[in-house]
Amino acid sequence: MKAMIVDDEDLARAVVREHLAANPDVEVVAECSNGLEALKAAALHQPDLLFLDIQMPKLDGFEVLELLEAEGRRLAVVFVTAYDQHALRAFEANAVDYLLKPFSPERFDGALAKARALGQARPPATQLATAARAGKPLERIVVKDGPKVSIVHLERLDWIQAQDDYVLLRTEGKNLMKQQTLASLDGQLEATRFIRIHRSFILNLERLVRIEQDSKEHREAVLRDGTRLPVSRAGYQRLRELWEGA
Amino acid sequence: MHPLLASRARLGTYLLGWVPVTVMLAAMGRIQGWSWLEALALAVPLCLIAALLSLSAWFLCQALPLGNTTEGLGSHGIAWAMAASLMGGLWSGLAWSLARLGAWVPGLEALPDRVGKALPVLTGLGILLYLAALALHYLILAQERAAEAERKGADLQMLAQESELKALRAQLNPHFLFNSLNSLSALTSVDPARARQMCVLLSDFLRRSLGLGERKLVTLREELDLARAYLAIEQIRFGARLQVDWAITAATEPALLPTLLLQPLVENAIKHGIAVIPEGGTLGIATTLLDGHVVATVTNPTDPEAPAPQGLGLGLNQVRQRLLGRFGHRARFEATTEAGLHRVLLVFPLEVQP
Repeated sequence: MKAMIVDDEDLARAVVREHLAANPDVEVVAECSNGLEALKAAALHQPDLLFLDIQMPKLDGFEVLELLEAEGRRLAVVFVTAYDQHALRAFEANAVDYLLKPFSPERFDGALAKARALGQARPPATQLATAARAGKPLERIVVKDGPKVSIVHLERLDWIQAQDDYVLLRTEGKNLMKQQTLASLDGQLEATRFIRIHRSFILNLERLVRIEQDSKEHREAVLRDGTRLPVSRAGYQRLRELWEGA
Repeated sequence: MHPLLASRARLGTYLLGWVPVTVMLAAMGRIQGWSWLEALALAVPLCLIAALLSLSAWFLCQALPLGNTTEGLGSHGIAWAMAASLMGGLWSGLAWSLARLGAWVPGLEALPDRVGKALPVLTGLGILLYLAALALHYLILAQERAAEAERKGADLQMLAQESELKALRAQLNPHFLFNSLNSLSALTSVDPARARQMCVLLSDFLRRSLGLGERKLVTLREELDLARAYLAIEQIRFGARLQVDWAITAATEPALLPTLLLQPLVENAIKHGIAVIPEGGTLGIATTLLDGHVVATVTNPTDPEAPAPQGLGLGLNQVRQRLLGRFGHRARFEATTEAGLHRVLLVFPLEVQP
């Protein structure tokens, strides 16, 4: 069994390595100190098992897993964290195994056994991440853009368009594609910042300049950069509710 | 206690307010052809009595407080009208009695007759005066309530700050604690000597932070020592990723400042700076003395790709409030992000233990 250890602290990786040494059938194929490294190493080594820290620079553990899943990689995961009550609750609720730093050899062996037994049977990373945020809205979206990983901070996101099973993210003059439905993304965004103005569009309210009405049923949102997006009747209703509520 | 009787200054001002009313009343008598003696003999005692009687409006105001809506104004209005009519009647009755008494004095023999003719006017005037007094008392009541609310608000804020501080003292960053224990757990087999060193550092930090919790003000030196203990532990955890650049001016060290003002800044610099950058960086702590003020800065590199944070976080805001709460306009707080460097600057007067 091939395992990877992903943690930004040397000493934290050392503990996992040391515990794994007692399991000769598990081979540590790579140790990574951040999420981007982990993605590269996973492509190279095709691990079966990941020891994954949650708080790391650049990408957090959930985002690493999400990107690995987007590449079609299926592997067993043991989350390792020092303290994150919401994440723990999410793991418990979804029967995902985790280790709390610092941990005992017994606890480590138990987690390893459970990860082997469960394998890849676990909810998708986005679902875990949503549960771990415990109601807090999303702050950024990670997108695999060819060989590159893009992190889209939401204040830099103009609008989102549904395109079949994908969403097109418009950010800083670029289009990025991500495999996700508009509805599932809509559910994770802050309802007062991002508005579903149309069946196929979510708009960053910050970018809106005005709404123009051509005919009785046809409205368009005019954005700061001059872009025009269609606004449906339901979308217009949502905007009005927001304004009247404010 | 009646608010107008509570202080001599207020009572004096109130009675002074009645002087023009007295003059007006006397002038009215003169217009009707009364002599000066007659007009003043009636107006002066009558207005004095009215001034005292009108004080009773306070009790009506308290019994019938004004709400935020017009609801209940109808029943209030009836009570006001009844009280005002009663007072108007009482007042004109007193005027009549005064006139009767005055008739014994030479030169005032015509007074009962004159007052008798003026009774309807006097009653109406009494009603108006009482209504005016009522309005005045409602104003006073509203003002007293506002002042009380302000006082209560200030008290509450003091309490909130106190409890915030208590929470701050009790709060040991759990991330820091568990991550440190995890590093320790790794070191026990990798490097036992450093493991022991880490135990000592951790104890030192805990003891210092528990000790500081007892006090409101500490010297900058103590705060810096706490930061040193904290950063020594974080340097074991982060290894080469964390460099610390100290530039302390010795003369600033005895400066007194609110407890645990520096520590949140240092923790922030780790959490939002060093910890989010793969290669880490240098955390800078500097103090200098400028025109009798201590200038303290904490700097850390930031992730160049992440957008600059909007506004201050909760932690920085607390630091700002506590600094300004202690020194007011004599202190300054600034947080800026420029060219990938986040900098928090505190300026406060150099005050030392007497």
